[in-house]
Amino acid sequence: MIFAAPWVLTALVGLPLLWWLLRVTPPAPRTESFPALRLLLGLRATEETAARTPWWLLALRLVVASLVICGLARPVLDAGAALPGSGPILLVVDNSWAAAAGWQQRVLAIDGILDRAERAGRGVALLTTATDEGGAAPRLIEPTPVADIRTRIAALRPVPWPTDRVGASAALRTWHHPGSATVYVGDGLNDGAYNTFAAALAAVGPMIQVCCDAAPIRVLLPAQNDHEGLTMRLAQVPQTIPTQAVVLAQAGDGRTLARGVIPIPAGAKTASGTIPLPIELRNRLSRLMLEGPASAGAVMLLDERWRRRPVGLLSGDLASADAPFAGALYYLNRALAPFGEVRTGTLSDLIARDLSVLVLADRPVTDSAERTMLAAWIEKGGFLIRFAGPRMAAADADDGLLPVPLLGGDRQLGGALSWSEPAGLAFFPPSSPFAGLPVPAEVKITRQVLAEPGAGLAGHTWAALSDGTPLVTATARGAGHIVLFHVTANADWSDLPLSGLFVDMLRRLTTLSAGVAPSQDATILAPAMTLNGFGSLTPPARAAVGLAGDAFGHTPVSASHPPGLYGPENGRRALNLGNAITTLEAAPIIADARLETLTGDTREQPLGPSLLTVALLLSIVDLFISLVLRGLIRAHVTGPAIAVLLALAAPANALETVENPALATRLGYIVTGDGQVDATSRSGLAGLSEYVNRRTAAALAQPDPVTPGQTDLSLYPLLYWPIVADATPLSDEQTRALNTYMNRGGIMLIDTRNGGTGAGFAPGTTGALRRLTQGLTIPALTPLTTDHVLSHSFYLLNDFPGRFTGDPVWAQQEQDRANDSVSPVIIGGNDWAAAWAVDTSGRYPFATIPGGQRQRTLAYRFGVNLVMYALTGNYKGDQVHVPAILQRLGQ
Amino acid sequence: MADPVSAARRAEALGSRLPPLMVEAERVASTVAQGVHGRRRVGQGDSFWQFRPFVAGDPVNRIDWRQSAKSGQAPAQGWFIRETEWEAAQTVCLWRDSSDSMRWRRGGTTEKGERASLLLLALASLMLRGGERVALMRPGARPVAGRFGLEQIAAALAEPAAAEGLPPSLPLPRHATVVLIGDFLSPLAAIQSLIARLAATPASGYLLQVLDPAEVALPYAGRIRFRGLEREGETVIPRVEAIRDDYGRALKAQQEALAALCVAAGFGFGVHQTDHPPEAALLSLYTALGRT
Repeated sequence: MIFAAPWVLTALVGLPLLWWLLRVTPPAPRTESFPALRLLLGLRATEETAARTPWWLLALRLVVASLVICGLARPVLDAGAALPGSGPILLVVDNSWAAAAGWQQRVLAIDGILDRAERAGRGVALLTTATDEGGAAPRLIEPTPVADIRTRIAALRPVPWPTDRVGASAALRTWHHPGSATVYVGDGLNDGAYNTFAAALAAVGPMIQVCCDAAPIRVLLPAQNDHEGLTMRLAQVPQTIPTQAVVLAQAGDGRTLARGVIPIPAGAKTASGTIPLPIELRNRLSRLMLEGPASAGAVMLLDERWRRRPVGLLSGDLASADAPFAGALYYLNRALAPFGEVRTGTLSDLIARDLSVLVLADRPVTDSAERTMLAAWIEKGGFLIRFAGPRMAAADADDGLLPVPLLGGDRQLGGALSWSEPAGLAFFPPSSPFAGLPVPAEVKITRQVLAEPGAGLAGHTWAALSDGTPLVTATARGAGHIVLFHVTANADWSDLPLSGLFVDMLRRLTTLSAGVAPSQDATILAPAMTLNGFGSLTPPARAAVGLAGDAFGHTPVSASHPPGLYGPENGRRALNLGNAITTLEAAPIIADARLETLTGDTREQPLGPSLLTVALLLSIVDLFISLVLRGLIRAHVTGPAIAVLLALAAPANALETVENPALATRLGYIVTGDGQVDATSRSGLAGLSEYVNRRTAAALAQPDPVTPGQTDLSLYPLLYWPIVADATPLSDEQTRALNTYMNRGGIMLIDTRNGGTGAGFAPGTTGALRRLTQGLTIPALTPLTTDHVLSHSFYLLNDFPGRFTGDPVWAQQEQDRANDSVSPVIIGGNDWAAAWAVDTSGRYPFATIPGGQRQRTLAYRFGVNLVMYALTGNYKGDQVHVPAILQRLGQ
Repeated sequence: MADPVSAARRAEALGSRLPPLMVEAERVASTVAQGVHGRRRVGQGDSFWQFRPFVAGDPVNRIDWRQSAKSGQAPAQGWFIRETEWEAAQTVCLWRDSSDSMRWRRGGTTEKGERASLLLLALASLMLRGGERVALMRPGARPVAGRFGLEQIAAALAEPAAAEGLPPSLPLPRHATVVLIGDFLSPLAAIQSLIARLAATPASGYLLQVLDPAEVALPYAGRIRFRGLEREGETVIPRVEAIRDDYGRALKAQQEALAALCVAAGFGFGVHQTDHPPEAALLSLYTALGRT
């Protein structure tokens, strides 16, 4: 701890004087009025001792004075050592990608340095060692006041590329300020030019190096896609202990599809791990990300190589394949071209290049060499889609490239000589890749080839006609698939190619196939989205320029080629930081440098304001004590005043002032915490109790507020529970108390206050009711009818209005003999308490809606019935059977 | 004492436990009001005094026919008139201190003035039930009697009156009984002249000093500025606990001097503290004033 203004402490010398002054000045006397003053006037005490200030009050005042003096001396905690030198301070900051992980700590450390420089009144120069976003080489900012540097530091962000040590060394050589000191906040990475840079730094003058990151610096290296999964690799600065890294595989919308762990042995520079991921999911990946602090090195963007799927088209009828509206490939071309690369050619040409999907439109594979070639391609992961047609129907022999064996010939549905109608499509089975696609009713199939019926046919069927015959069948073979459409690819046999469904089906099939790498040529690809230093995609930086397609993979990232996505929308290429990095090496500590830690938690704290605050509080206490001593505040007033203050501070929980609720029968309402609702409940139940006392033999006392879990609920026959929208959920104890209450014969009237005509008066209470009653054992409910005992337990009622009317009121569905057939809960939304409420002058504060005295009377009658129901159970229900019993007795 | 009716009720309730009070009077004040004190003379009254022979001019309806018949003589000679003893009521003059110093209390006790009013009304109630005539000692006050007299007195007490530390100098009926209730902390000379004046009327009576317990015990400590209630000034006592004994002695001297004054003038004297029950003070008043 240091004092920023130590000369103020000399005032502490004056404390003894203050003590003496306080001591000889007696406190002002208390003033009392006294009738027998005349008797006192002549009296003088024998011992004339001057009244003194009590010692503890003296001590308190001295403490206040000391606190004020110390506070004004501006003490600062954890201020750190003074900066060396006397001239300006050169602040060198590595703002490369490697600094991004610990950026927050770096900013805090720099702030601490700036605080110290500001106190010492020294100017600060700034050198950031990475190329800036405009592509300019590192450049010194000449010494400026600290306030300016603070704004620059606040705006400083790490860049997604490495530092430019050579440029920084050159900038350092332009520094000529005698007596200056250097503070270096490095990123901890040793690239080729580090030693030159360190030498240039050391040449400037005395130096402080702020070091080092707690977490090791890591960068993701290019991942590899192989048969069983995704192999991830990373490089890190070698550590002395084994660690592990967690990699998240994320889709384009940011969802994490898989999580893999890479174990890193001690001393290892690189490590790798595998995420087993199905090909369908792998195709949706857009980036890999290291879990932990964000930085550009922790992100590996995945480009179209992971998703690009060239489709080859081949027709049996080469001559008319592309004829408009009639050709076999016309519809396929138009369906596939917008979404991918479509190729045509001979079979051998197509397969020789990288190909994801091959579509054979009514082309039997007769040549055995072709057949072998195709089979091998499918085994490796090729995706073969075949369409039927007259040629396939005519070919007898199975060429071995069909998902299911076919019956010879074809089947015609509808037509001039047929009784049958063209068939529509059935819904897609859930296991099919087409599941969820809408089935248009206008698609009709008029001809198809038929599969040989068999036990496994249903398992191979991805789409079927409404009569159950398969339309699309498929089978997996090796790593690839064979899919057969049992119709032609043109509109000869069906309407399917004319519908949008055709496009959707083909797209889904294409996404099932495996991607291949695009061709690499020297086309310049423009940057589309680039990563910032923290690894989020942003619009490209100013200095970013295009990159040739064949330069990806070995071009190091820089300001002109920041990591990110390049190229057109459907052919994106990713440039990643890890492409040109093989290993990472830790930077050595610069010799002769004074080390400071980069932990970030030793930020200096000025103590002055806190001390002055404490002094102020103590002065208030002193004032209070003085007033008590002078009798201006009586002790017996002080006690209650403090109690009132404490009561205000404590949560107001003093609602329940009931002395002994067991002495009288009374209704209870559950306290909601909403003052107005509770007041309405209270006056409502009071109004109902008064009505019941007037009209019936029951004698009810004033209602009580109850809190489940605190109040003994067993004393209340009926609880009214208004629901408020922001009700706090019941605790376990409260839930238990209410369940016990209901099990043992208590009745709860739950009121959502938003029923019928009052819809919208209390929004959100229905949801709150659902939330609140989750833990309660509410039985199955049924709307109250005139058959229920409640409708004739005192008055004969047809409906059960409150302030509102119209909605059904719910009670227990089954008659539970164990509980005397009494429903433990009545639920409705008619805001009964508002209808029953009577204010102190005997008026009704709430109008009934739609209104009328009749509705209020009925509301009261419902209340009376409810009280009677709570007090007498199913007594009235038994009365119904009296005639029958009498008749039986008579017999 | 805001509501005179409720004050009267409370006073009646307080006095209801004692029998009606007939003031002992050696010589009844010369009033013409009918009362309970026989004058040993013929006059208005209920008690039989003597029979005397009928004289011409006597009203016929005053003839005691039964006695006349027993005499067996002829009419006119044998006729007797029944005469009753003249019975007069004693007039009791009541006064209570209504100065600012009576409107004071410390802690949870009753105000001195409130207690004084209660005692006065209770005493008045007892006397009215005993048939006496009660008057407040204030200018223009008339003696009252009977059941409704108490409420008149209570109403008169509730009226704002000049704050007076000692009773005003008023013409009193001769041989009247005077009851003075107050704190009597005024200078002794003033009290002495008051009692001398009353004794010269002549009148006799009782002096009741009502004190707050704080005035007796002086329960203060520390440095205190005492301020009088009737502009007597103020005084700062550095350590009140040091002068507590001296104060006690001064109070005792005042009370002894008062007692001596009262005895000399034939008055009774008593002290009542507001933390004691009012029944005790009422009982002492009753026994001091009552005819045994």
